[in-house]
Amino acid sequence: MTIRFERVSKFFGDVAALDELDLSVSDGELLVLVGPSGCGKSTALRVLAGLEQPTSGRVLVSDRDITSLPPHRRDVAMVFQDLALYPHMTSRQNIGFGPRIRREPADEVRRRTEEVARQLGLDGLLDRYPDQLSGGQQQRVALARAMVRAPQAYLMDEPLSDLDVQLRLRARTEIVELHRSIGATTIYVTHDQAEAMTMGDRIAVLASGRLQQVGTPAQVYDEPANRFVAGFLGSPPMNLVPGGGVLGGEPDTVVGVRPEDISIAADRFPADGFRAEVALVESLGSETVLSVRCEDGTRLAVRTGPRSPYRANATIALSVDPGRRHIFDRDSGMRR
Amino acid sequence: MTTRQVERSSWAFLLPYALGTLVLVLIPAVLTLRYAFTDFTGLGSPQFTGLDNLRRLRDDPFFAASLQASAFHVAMAVPLRLFAAVALGLLLAAPRRGGRWYRVAVYLPTVVPDIALALLFLWVLNPIYGPLNQVLGAVGLPQPTWLATPWGARVGVVLMLAFPIGEAFLVVLATRRAISNRLYEAAALEGCTPWRQLVHITLPLLAPVLVLLAIRDTVVMLQVSFVPAYLLTDGGPGNATLYLPVYIYDQAFEFFGFGYSAMITLALIAITLALVAVQVLLVRRWRVLR
Repeated sequence: MTIRFERVSKFFGDVAALDELDLSVSDGELLVLVGPSGCGKSTALRVLAGLEQPTSGRVLVSDRDITSLPPHRRDVAMVFQDLALYPHMTSRQNIGFGPRIRREPADEVRRRTEEVARQLGLDGLLDRYPDQLSGGQQQRVALARAMVRAPQAYLMDEPLSDLDVQLRLRARTEIVELHRSIGATTIYVTHDQAEAMTMGDRIAVLASGRLQQVGTPAQVYDEPANRFVAGFLGSPPMNLVPGGGVLGGEPDTVVGVRPEDISIAADRFPADGFRAEVALVESLGSETVLSVRCEDGTRLAVRTGPRSPYRANATIALSVDPGRRHIFDRDSGMRR
Repeated sequence: MTTRQVERSSWAFLLPYALGTLVLVLIPAVLTLRYAFTDFTGLGSPQFTGLDNLRRLRDDPFFAASLQASAFHVAMAVPLRLFAAVALGLLLAAPRRGGRWYRVAVYLPTVVPDIALALLFLWVLNPIYGPLNQVLGAVGLPQPTWLATPWGARVGVVLMLAFPIGEAFLVVLATRRAISNRLYEAAALEGCTPWRQLVHITLPLLAPVLVLLAIRDTVVMLQVSFVPAYLLTDGGPGNATLYLPVYIYDQAFEFFGFGYSAMITLALIAITLALVAVQVLLVRRWRVLR
């Protein structure tokens, strides 16, 4: 099913959690809503689920206005950040809770519960209570509870944020594979830009309740629409330097360049480059991030390969391919 | 501080309470146990009388009446008080405008001394000029003479005790507030109505606390019926409110039958333990707690 937000605003008192959000999600797509905390991404999801009423605007599902429908009539399933498992129910009761509430036949509930549990590898865990499960297992029970309903759309509100890093990476892949096999429209909310980049068919970047940019991960990464998106995606983030500085550009601009697009010249005094002193070397194993200080005091992050030969206090020469630069308007922040 | 020092100072902190327990609970308990098998009157030295007091208890019509009064009292007061505390606690747990004033209002009767509350209820329950009967009369309901009839008196005492429920109310309120709102949102997404949310989520999650409150209230209701009964009804009419604590007091301080009253006290303790045991067994049986 398709989902469309039409000029949706949500105010809490004077604070706009969502400010005229326009966003479409196509059928079967996995769209990641990403932004810093407080940017309105969870609110967007809750408005779509029917847990919050928008102050203005409409939400359409498959071209039908559902803005005033109660949550359970929207045929969406939600996975919450804290998972919201019922602590007094076993996995089986948790997964079967919705169908039982809707008075579906017990046999059918049992069959579907077991089927979904098998799909998610929860076979032996159905009679355990949430506090007898590991974080990853709890997360899968929450997912199973959403799946047992076979909803038209899945809404996931940072479901992996409480897992440890190892588990999060694995669960990330599992969710993407699950989405491929089920094919239901999914909106996934996260503040983690790496999760956004790796999971989404498309990414929607939100800040202060406003949509900053929507596009494929490559589009958003390679052609950020404004300074915020440029600085938010990528780790370490894009270097942003006032125009006329070491990265060139007009004075009324801000010039951005990604750490991996700065090359370290073999020649210590290249014609088109500039010199900088290495301030800090961060080796991440597969890559090395140098934090350098240019002669005019500008700080830049430079990404280079593993086993970097550079040491702190060394002077190196850097150059930037002009085509790799991103030029933003100094005042509006928009891409030029 | 070394572990030893910490241990020593923690004993020092415990000492006043240990002393209090010893002097106010343990020693009287041991004395009660001893006096229960004597003819002690408070004067002279007690003579050991074997099981005489127990036989007297068996054949005492006042004890039977007292037992009945206490049983009815607990059966009415505990469910009503618990229901009121849970209903008000759940109702006022949600943030709402003016909520704090309602919460204060619910808690307030708990800080009023028993005696003041009893005097207040003498007025409330007055058949002629009491506000309760005036309200009942205004809406065309019968106006009982309350404390003048056996059942009127029993219900009157229960009504009074339906107000000082602040502690249970606070416990329910706090427990409800600790339940994550997400659970209710997840249920709402499944089409779970507020009533079924109460049945499937709130009450099961409150269950451990409710069990505790029920047991505690049973113990309390067996004991604190003393002040209202003494002030409102003095055990009457016709022994309808001669609750066990009232009868114990009468035996000990009106008739100077300390030996016999000690035996009734033992009976009260045994009954309390038995009721609590039954509750615990039922809780296990019905798997209220997992």
